[in-house]
Amino acid sequence: MVFQNGTVALKDANLEIAPGEFISLIGPSGCGKTTLLRLLADLIKPSAGTIRIGGKTPEEARKSRAYGYVFQAPTLMEWRTVLSNVMLPLEVMNFPPPERKARAEQMLTLVGLEKFARHYPWQLSGGMQQRVSIARALAFDPQLLFMDEPFGALDEITRENLNLELLRLWRETGKTVIFVTHSIPEAVFLSTRIVVMTPRPGKIETVIPLDLPQPRTFETRETARFFELATEVREALRKGHGYEVTE
Amino acid sequence: MRLSPNLVPMLVVALVVVALYWPIMYLANIPAAQRALDTGAALPCKTAFECATQLRSPVLPSPQQLWNGFANLMFPLNSPNAIPINAAVTAFETLVGLLLATLVGFFFAIGMVASRAFERALLPWIVASQTVPIIAIAPMLVVLLGQYGVQGWLPKAIIAAYIAFFPITIGVAKGLQSPDPLALDLMKTYNANNWQTYLKLRFPASVPYLFTAFKVAMTAALIGAIVAEISTISFQGIGKMLAENSRASDVVAMWVIMLSSAVLGILLVALVNWLERLLTPWRRSSQVVAVPTKETRLATRGEVRS
Repeated sequence: MVFQNGTVALKDANLEIAPGEFISLIGPSGCGKTTLLRLLADLIKPSAGTIRIGGKTPEEARKSRAYGYVFQAPTLMEWRTVLSNVMLPLEVMNFPPPERKARAEQMLTLVGLEKFARHYPWQLSGGMQQRVSIARALAFDPQLLFMDEPFGALDEITRENLNLELLRLWRETGKTVIFVTHSIPEAVFLSTRIVVMTPRPGKIETVIPLDLPQPRTFETRETARFFELATEVREALRKGHGYEVTE
Repeated sequence: MRLSPNLVPMLVVALVVVALYWPIMYLANIPAAQRALDTGAALPCKTAFECATQLRSPVLPSPQQLWNGFANLMFPLNSPNAIPINAAVTAFETLVGLLLATLVGFFFAIGMVASRAFERALLPWIVASQTVPIIAIAPMLVVLLGQYGVQGWLPKAIIAAYIAFFPITIGVAKGLQSPDPLALDLMKTYNANNWQTYLKLRFPASVPYLFTAFKVAMTAALIGAIVAEISTISFQGIGKMLAENSRASDVVAMWVIMLSSAVLGILLVALVNWLERLLTPWRRSSQVVAVPTKETRLATRGEVRS
């Protein structure tokens, strides 16, 4: 991936993802993890290389509404109520009106916000707004969920709660999730595999499979294996950064 | 009682203005009163100080004179020479002008947002159109429109629209461009077409900007309508009253009509405020909604970085 000004954002990124996986892309700022996600989502075009999503190009996948995208900010429409925000994609995709409402209500129940359906976004906390945004991304039942640092702006406690909730959603819906983060504990806690990326030019340093048992709970974070894996990720990040790895 | 929080500060300002007005009025009128006494005019007063509030053509009218003038010009309510009917005509011209300006403003704003070439080609001309003095162009427009049989209140509404479309164009263009880049990406992930992006995102996002523009455009349209009435042949309107009383050198009436048109302006802007509250219910209980939250600011920065 080369930008028009010649900056190489992404190089040698080869990766295959199986259905139902939870993949985290981790790396420091400027390593191209958001770029990679935007390439998959056809929000930008690659300068070289091929991407296939279930045999389709990213553009075909986008046009067949194969994925839901959760951004760094909730990007809720301030003039719409919570329920109406979740109905937005269904309106754009011409779902019949009764089905829009039924699906949106079901999604709000899934993220535990059914009591806030009539509220406006500004009446919700940042964490609740991001849950609405996740409900919105799932409303049209895409097989894929792309998440770009969705909890990056939230406090640690809210973030850990939402991590747990996201894992529950993932288990219940069986979606394939590709999750961008720069938090090591978040990546280790959530993922089935972690893709460690390094900057300038952005490339995939290594892919770390995670064998933490499912379902994961708050206690998972306290296990010895969790710390071993976190250390493994941290060392891979350091190696890619050119720092000396200290034993 | 939505007015009550505004009412007390407004009255305080009014009191301060009146308190300041008195000494200024005396300073302005005493020399004229002295001259009138010196020439031996028949006045019902003896000293310059006394006469300062009773001059037939005062430099500044006294509050008592204003009050009397106001009482004379307000009644009878249905008289063609009283303020109410003339103010209603001017208000009608202003509102029709604003409506026309909104249609034209949306047309230009959508064009400018949709096409950079359209914006580059047209914006300088739109700006130029606003630098022409309205008092010069109004009679020309009336002559031109009269050629095609457009007469009466419509030319005034068109002239009001001529100056009101500018703030609306700029405001709506800004509003249509106000959605966050992430929100536009979101619509793209839904494979939304252009029309859907306008309908679901750009138009609703521009509504607060539209109302801000309306407040500027409303006062501009009112001035446009009045200037058009003054500078063309008019049989009705605030401007026609101003022109008549200017010819008659009736200073008191001029002040009364000016103050009345100011009140009309306040009422018209209040109408916009009322519509705004009605049509943007999501902002009703909070004025801070328009301020970006910490999260969106951080996210926008993150977006630029990666």
